[in-house]
Amino acid sequence: MLVTDKDSLSQLKKLNKLALTAAQDEDTLTFFAAKNAELEKMAALDTECVEAMIRVMPISAVLREDKATAHFTRDELQASAPDVRGGYLKVPRLLE
Amino acid sequence: MKLYISKNKTVGASPVVLDDMILTADGTAAGSKMLNNYKSPFDATLTKSLSAAGYSVAGKANVGEFGIDLLGETSYFGAVTDKSGNLCLASAEIVRSGEAVAAVGLDVNGAQRRAAALAGLVYMKPTYGTVSRFGTVSVAASGECIGVMAKNVSECKAALAAVVGHDAADGTSLSEEACDRVKNGAVRLKKAAIIKNFTANVDDGTATRTEAARAALTAEGITVDEIDCDVLTHAKTAWGVLMCAELCSNLSRYDGVKYGHRSENYTTLDELYTNSRTEAFGELVKTAILYGSAVLSEGNYIQVYDKALRVRRVITEALARLHREYDVLIIPACSKSAYTLDNVAASKQLPFDEALYTAPASISGVPAAVAGGIQLIGAPFSENTLFEAAKIITGETE
Repeated sequence: MLVTDKDSLSQLKKLNKLALTAAQDEDTLTFFAAKNAELEKMAALDTECVEAMIRVMPISAVLREDKATAHFTRDELQASAPDVRGGYLKVPRLLE
Repeated sequence: MKLYISKNKTVGASPVVLDDMILTADGTAAGSKMLNNYKSPFDATLTKSLSAAGYSVAGKANVGEFGIDLLGETSYFGAVTDKSGNLCLASAEIVRSGEAVAAVGLDVNGAQRRAAALAGLVYMKPTYGTVSRFGTVSVAASGECIGVMAKNVSECKAALAAVVGHDAADGTSLSEEACDRVKNGAVRLKKAAIIKNFTANVDDGTATRTEAARAALTAEGITVDEIDCDVLTHAKTAWGVLMCAELCSNLSRYDGVKYGHRSENYTTLDELYTNSRTEAFGELVKTAILYGSAVLSEGNYIQVYDKALRVRRVITEALARLHREYDVLIIPACSKSAYTLDNVAASKQLPFDEALYTAPASISGVPAAVAGGIQLIGAPFSENTLFEAAKIITGETE
């Protein structure tokens, strides 16, 4: 069974860096309850001898040639960054 | 009501509209506050393919947040509704109005198929890996596909041909030979089957459209059987697990540091992450992240996520068995003939529940077309057969 109570939901929110209102907590627990019922039905399918299917098409890992190609500049990549100072992404101080 | 996120001032011949999940240098938000004002440093590969084929991009269409909702209702820029208050996807409205000959979008959870069915348009989600996803906002990479919507079969087919092809920049792109089968595959249309497990709980309008499709195909000498295949109904649950797991992983990159929304309310790094994500993601996306995280957690990974991967194989093999006998499988694209904002407000489950109809093709990577308001599912690389069936159903003569 997935999340069934507020404590496990709180832990999940913390791990995912998300906050919810009390009403959203209730909605989310209702969602999980419905999903748990669905998952129970799916669990009843016999898949013991079935191999997990990660890819739907026979695609093997693609390796590019080890050759220098054109890349984006730092300025281009930082153009949409929320806060940049001196070419670096700015975040709050971690160590006092 | 915002149909366009951006609209080009000068549009040439054959205008197409791109869902705002496809990166272009003029901005891509994926329906989310998180990516509002985000400017990509490059355009998606498919935009170049469209230009090379003579299409011009008319603009970017409003989409639901990260494309996982019912009909675009979770967009940060607002839902699109018609005069009756029924939800519609912006790209479908733009095509229906004639402002674009086709719409190209990322089919993550079937919104485009539902929209095409409700708007009476033609749509094709081709075989997985035959259209480049390089330069799309990745959500559920193992099943999401670029799809094409148009007013009729010939325009849909032409626009699809423009974007199908191998792309070395996309690690999931199939070979040029495989892509060529989408464009030039032989038509084999002798037997079709309506899968009864999907027609039991639909409204009268949907039932009528299914019967009309049967009648049209039968009139052309195609045998249409009614069959049971209960295992396909598990695709909804399995795709919900896989989609949310992949979404949770893909959306972990949005932390307010490198790009995207950053909260103004923080003092610590943890607050920066949490407040940025909490302010920017909508409720459905938050729920999907939490569900995805739960199914990937240590205690549930084998029991739930690995199980869903096994069910994916069961479903893919069941479809392959059916396609050995039937050239086209007929199931509705959604259960109702219209949806309102009240419908989606009443249940957070609705986009997941309606995936009952779209998940079999999403999870297995097989092509799925929409025509005459119903969905046609084919074997891999059988797009031309689906287009032929669509022509019969829509009564197109050319």
